[in-house]
Amino acid sequence: MMELVLALAIGVLAASGVWLLLRPRTFQVIMGLSLLSYAVNIFIFAMGRLKSGAPPVLAGEVSDPARYTDPTPQALVLTAIVISFALTALFLVVILAARGITGSDHVDGKEPDA
Amino acid sequence: MTDWHAHLIIGPIVLPMIIASAMLLVDERRRILKASLSLAAMAAILVMALILLHESANGAVGGGDTARVYRLGSWAAPYGVVLVADRLSTIMVALTSVLGGCALIFALARWDRAGPRFHALFLLLIMGVNGALLTGDLFNLFVFFEVMLAASYGLALHGSGEARVRAGVIYIAVNLTASLLFLIGVSLIYGVTSTLNMADLATRVPTIVAGDLGLFHIGAAVLGTAFLIKCAMWPVGFWLTSTYSAASAPAAAVFAILSKVGVYVIIRLSLLLFGAGAGASAGFGLTWLMFGGLATIAFGTFGLIASRDLSRAAGFGVMISSGTVLAILGVGDTAALSGALFYLIGSTLACAALFLLAEILQRGREADVGEARAVFDDEYRDPFDDEERNEPGLVIPAAVAALGGAFLICTLMVAGMPPLAGFVGKLSMIDALVNVGGPAQWMLVAVLSVSSLGALIGLTRLGVGAIWTRDEDAPAFVVGAAELTAVAALLGACVFLAIFAGSALIYTDHTAAWLAEPQGYINAVLGGGGR
Amino acid sequence: MSISFLLVVILVLPFLGAVVASGLPRHARTSAAILSWVVALISLGCLAALWPMFQDGETLRYEIPWLPSLGVNLVLRLDGLSWLFSALILGIGALVVLYARYYMSPKDPVPRFFSFLLAFMGAMQGVVLSGNLIQLVVFWELTSLFSFLLIGYWHQNSAAREGSRMALTVTATGGIALLVGMILIGRIVGSYDLDVVLASRDAIQASPLYLPALILLLLGAMTKSAQFPFHFWLPRAMAAPTPVSAYLHSATMVKAGIFLLIRFWPVFAGTESWYLIVGGMGLATLLLGAWCAIFQHDLKGLLAYSTISHLGLIVLLLGLGSPLGCIAAIFHTVNHATFKASLFMAAGIIDHEAGTRDMRKLSGLFRFMPFTATLAMVAAAAMAGVPLLNGFLSKEMFLAEAVASVNTHGLNLLLPALATLASAFSVLYSLRFIHTTFFGPPPTKLDRVPHEPVAWMRRPVEVLVALCLVVGIFPAVTVGPFLKSAAVSVLGFDLPYYSLALWHGFNLPLVLSLIALAGGVGLYVVFGKRINANPRGGPWGWKRLNGGWLFERAMTGLFKGSEALVHLFGATRQQPQLRAIVLVALLAGGLSAIGAGLIITPIMPTLTLSNWAFAGLWLIGASCAVAAAWQAKYHRLAAVVLMGGAGLASCLSFVWLSAPDLAVTQLLVEVVTTVLLLLGLRWLPKRLETIRLPQAMERRSRRRRRIDLIIAAAVGTSLAAISYAVMTRPSVEGISRFFVEHAYKDAGGRNIVNVILVDFRAFDTFGEITVLGIVGLTVFALLRRFRPADDTLSGPSQQRAQNASDRDHETRSEGDTLKETMLIPRVVMRWIFPFIILLAVHLFLRGHDLPGGGFAAGVALSIAFILQYMASGARWVEERLAIRPIFWIGAGLVIAALSGIGSWLFGYPFLTSWFQYADLPILGRVPLASAVLFDLGVVVLVVGATVLTLVALAHQSLRKPKQRDAEEGEPS
Repeated sequence: MMELVLALAIGVLAASGVWLLLRPRTFQVIMGLSLLSYAVNIFIFAMGRLKSGAPPVLAGEVSDPARYTDPTPQALVLTAIVISFALTALFLVVILAARGITGSDHVDGKEPDA
Repeated sequence: MTDWHAHLIIGPIVLPMIIASAMLLVDERRRILKASLSLAAMAAILVMALILLHESANGAVGGGDTARVYRLGSWAAPYGVVLVADRLSTIMVALTSVLGGCALIFALARWDRAGPRFHALFLLLIMGVNGALLTGDLFNLFVFFEVMLAASYGLALHGSGEARVRAGVIYIAVNLTASLLFLIGVSLIYGVTSTLNMADLATRVPTIVAGDLGLFHIGAAVLGTAFLIKCAMWPVGFWLTSTYSAASAPAAAVFAILSKVGVYVIIRLSLLLFGAGAGASAGFGLTWLMFGGLATIAFGTFGLIASRDLSRAAGFGVMISSGTVLAILGVGDTAALSGALFYLIGSTLACAALFLLAEILQRGREADVGEARAVFDDEYRDPFDDEERNEPGLVIPAAVAALGGAFLICTLMVAGMPPLAGFVGKLSMIDALVNVGGPAQWMLVAVLSVSSLGALIGLTRLGVGAIWTRDEDAPAFVVGAAELTAVAALLGACVFLAIFAGSALIYTDHTAAWLAEPQGYINAVLGGGGR
Repeated sequence: MSISFLLVVILVLPFLGAVVASGLPRHARTSAAILSWVVALISLGCLAALWPMFQDGETLRYEIPWLPSLGVNLVLRLDGLSWLFSALILGIGALVVLYARYYMSPKDPVPRFFSFLLAFMGAMQGVVLSGNLIQLVVFWELTSLFSFLLIGYWHQNSAAREGSRMALTVTATGGIALLVGMILIGRIVGSYDLDVVLASRDAIQASPLYLPALILLLLGAMTKSAQFPFHFWLPRAMAAPTPVSAYLHSATMVKAGIFLLIRFWPVFAGTESWYLIVGGMGLATLLLGAWCAIFQHDLKGLLAYSTISHLGLIVLLLGLGSPLGCIAAIFHTVNHATFKASLFMAAGIIDHEAGTRDMRKLSGLFRFMPFTATLAMVAAAAMAGVPLLNGFLSKEMFLAEAVASVNTHGLNLLLPALATLASAFSVLYSLRFIHTTFFGPPPTKLDRVPHEPVAWMRRPVEVLVALCLVVGIFPAVTVGPFLKSAAVSVLGFDLPYYSLALWHGFNLPLVLSLIALAGGVGLYVVFGKRINANPRGGPWGWKRLNGGWLFERAMTGLFKGSEALVHLFGATRQQPQLRAIVLVALLAGGLSAIGAGLIITPIMPTLTLSNWAFAGLWLIGASCAVAAAWQAKYHRLAAVVLMGGAGLASCLSFVWLSAPDLAVTQLLVEVVTTVLLLLGLRWLPKRLETIRLPQAMERRSRRRRRIDLIIAAAVGTSLAAISYAVMTRPSVEGISRFFVEHAYKDAGGRNIVNVILVDFRAFDTFGEITVLGIVGLTVFALLRRFRPADDTLSGPSQQRAQNASDRDHETRSEGDTLKETMLIPRVVMRWIFPFIILLAVHLFLRGHDLPGGGFAAGVALSIAFILQYMASGARWVEERLAIRPIFWIGAGLVIAALSGIGSWLFGYPFLTSWFQYADLPILGRVPLASAVLFDLGVVVLVVGATVLTLVALAHQSLRKPKQRDAEEGEPS
């Protein structure tokens, strides 16, 4: 059940992200990229299979892998979150600069000609 | 106390990073200091790269075919991250440092003053490239790709201006998408195999159960797409020409290696994971690589013929060379691959030189120089006055002949005409293909020859337009000594490569053979200690 | 001197000379000429010295390894044939150099000219001396290259540029074909060595690759030798300085193709396809060239077409495939070289002294330049094949061959007639050349009085003409030995009988050549007037079949076509590019899934309460996402908020699914990202739903949206399916077990995720923080030159309203309202500041054992700073806190790097950690792992980068536009 819900969640996030990614306005694109990175983060996380109530924080000396959820994907997600955050910030600034210099917020820096 | 030689392999990654971050602590206005620092850094990297290259040329440390492995945090593979220097990665690192060095020298003429923190960004880019080339871990590869790309965004926008920012939006959007694909691919592969280390992955690929195979292949395909975007394969590589031709010349020149990093990873992974020993997955995707490569060559050639300014042409040249290597890889013949590796080195150098030349020849036509002027009276201290941007330092007289000669060499290299390295590369590829026979091979031979011709036609047209068609009262070319040095160094490397083509080919032959037998790599990485 | 040395000299010396000449100053005409002259003479001397060193049929070899792994080495190989050609190249080269010294004007950069000329000479030498097929191709392409430079020497006039480009394109095309052909031959024979190839005739002719190899080889030869239909580049190449034409189109460039044919004659000739292709092309070129030559008004044009025709004659002889034909071909090659070179030089002299080459303007020059005229007449007579001249002998042999070959092949029946016709034509144009130029009334249309040239300019012509005579009268004693040696090296020792004598008795060939002579003269007498009057100067019946014109058309077509193709198959705009990428990814994934099969095993959902709650959570999250996607165009603020909702949902599900670290980090990043976006919104243009697009665009964009919707849905479903498939199957035993088992034992941390980040895979984090740092730098660089669009320069409307009302009340000063509204939050946020910092420290210290860690701490800290900015404004904060983000970025990176390098001192690899637990007052038992130091670097950097980005963006509102302050009050 969890799996199903999460899978659907990933699907919806990804779909709306892709939709925005293909839109002509820079702001839409940056929103799309953020949504997509949510989807991807959860996707990476899901690759470690789901387990509730088993955080990968060692209690005492016991270190039996079966008792903890897979920590590796979580580490990957953390790195991914940071990087995507950084690049989203960068992209935001770039689109602002583009908007400023070209005067348009179209992804091609100029309004489409009819 | 400690054996520095053991840490040699990480030098090309850590050194530029340290120097760059140290520069951030220094006032931006101390240009001489920064310039000399980054020159020294590049020189040091070059030396390290050459030592590594020499080692792997003489069969690496242990002698015979093996790779030098560095276990970060001294955690045993596959648990920790490892760096692997084998024949392929070391030659690429060496290529990077040569290219980077020349681009840096070129930049010293004036580009390093066109915006803040050029040297730091530049060194960090080099760090990223070297990391991506040396790492033996898929996710670490992702991280260094991001380092490389982040720095490349910075450099692509370096000097600002409308054209650059406009191209930058597309460039960044495309590469962010590629990075997301990268993540999906890596994590999916992890989800199926529970490992991230390439060598470990290679051992697990044949054992993947039938039910998981589909998922694994999807992961590999998505991952591959991410890299093919970087290689600028048709139809996912249109971003390349617009970005590279808009970028400042030294940036574009060093970008010539970025697409080759993509090519490198494709070569590395497809031969390591999907080699003959990969069971059900053997030879995965090769056919697609071949057709994609052919399409890329064709598109690049037509683009080159059609392009009306040199930097665009150079961009298409980059596409052609990536396409060529991909197609050859797709054919899956070791001898041809050796030729392709040789060709890769030569063509990359030539394309870089062409970017630099293009900037010199098109100088004055740059529309966007003025547009970078800040419209704010800045509270931030602004050490850059825009007048400096057009002043190329020490000017050398009567440069036309030199430029003409340089352009000629570039043309020969890109078109693969005798007697330079480009020709040797094409020759050994065609030779190998002909010896195999087969329809695919013949088609490839035809395409390679025709693309040579196309490149020749396109470039002579542009060169005649740029150099011969100048009326007397046209202003003489203004060329900085540093700029000409950089171009000369790159082309000198091409000539050097042609003269010593014999031994270079022997090296690439060994490399191709070593890649075709991944067991050596796997043993080197997984064998041996660590915590 | 040793043979190898001599061989190297005759190849390398010209190139050396070229390098030296290129270094000479621009006006050093004489010294450059002397240099080249010396070079040519020395090489000639060495060549002469080599003559006695080999008997007929022997070959001298000297091998230098180059690409042993490909079987490609530099092999210098000299035999009779290559000796003869080399002698032509060097000898005529020397004469041309002498001639050029007086021809070239001192205004031109003459040293460059001589440098190109010498380089070209060297390349030709390379071609004839090659003992390796690939090496031959290399020098072959070099000749194309240097001829390009020579033809384009006067690049200021467009004819030269176009002509040179055409020549290069055509010959280089041939060169590429030749390369592939040679590789094919190499594959058939198994070696690129010329001697091996020449020894394996049967293998080649038996091979299935024979025909392709032959065709490719011929493509090379025929383009170079300007054979129909590739002949058109040669007349265009007449834009070159005359010495160049005299050299390239008599003895060298065009003869390279002939050399190639002769060289490979032994192994390729004698088959039907050879006969048909080579013979056919030769015949066609012979007639067509002669026909066109008749009608030229330009002296050089006439000579160019006659060259084409004579080359055709040689090729035809080779095509016949009979040994005698081959010998005749070699002989005529030599003769043609001598008389054509002298004729070109004569034409050059006329051009030089009379100021034009147009035969319609020239006439009666005999009385002005009798010597030159005489020389030209003799040479022309040789070209026409008049007895007592060398041209006569080879023409005679040609006719004899034509007659002899009649019964060897059905198609040869007409050959004697056609050969005679062609000879008649050549008589005709030779006669026309002489008559129109030198006889008739004195010229009227000249801008100067023509006169004899300086004696030295005439010397080369004299030498060549003398050769024509000597060879013509005493062939046996003059060329005899060289011809024999060349013939032997091609045909082997069993040469057919041939006699180099003036008189063979009264036989059919003699009759034919007499008919040709008479016919030519007769034709001239009859048609001469009309031909000279013909305005267009093109041949009769020769409208659109002009190769050059067609070529130009093809080229423009190529450029236009490739532009169209690139436009059709490429994309410069972003949307198509991204669409292509997404589609390719989908396609790649889909195909490989189909390839290997994708099995999804659904598990029955268990409807517990918590599951329902989870579903509900994502019902909200998903609808937030969709709503955000829907609103992002017109209601950006709403979209940002909605996206936050989606982020929150994923954050909560991380908590739910036992990933506390992710939850914390996600939450913090969420906050910062939102702040960033909100700061950014201010600079984007207003977008109103009321604005309508034109119909056509509206329709197009609606279609696009539909497509994109499908794509998006496809991506969503496939990603959902994949993730579901993975989640519902057991995981493979992998690397994670190791992490769990060693996290505490060997890395001293209980929070495994954090241990992975700062120890097991610290190198990832190392790269990650570098990315953050780079982004900080780039943002700084971009915003330093930030230029807002005009419509965003004025502050937000609300703020302007406030300020306006303030201005109205005299009791209030501007900005008061703002201050008042912000009073409470400001106080609150100032109080929060220390607490957030404490929280950050806490997160940082506990990170190794409990959720938290460097990154979280860093982001928390920067949030603290941002709150201050929001509450009190930038000025207030910066007066109190020294904010130097770039310094922090640098410091953070340095700390991280050093903490990694530290381990080198203990002989461990980069980032090897060491840890110890210490009991501190208050804080209690904290881990003192070296990893913590690394984590500290992370904190510093994250604060630096994040604060930099936020502040730099926030600052934009404070900056004063340059000359715009007048319009509104300063926006705060």
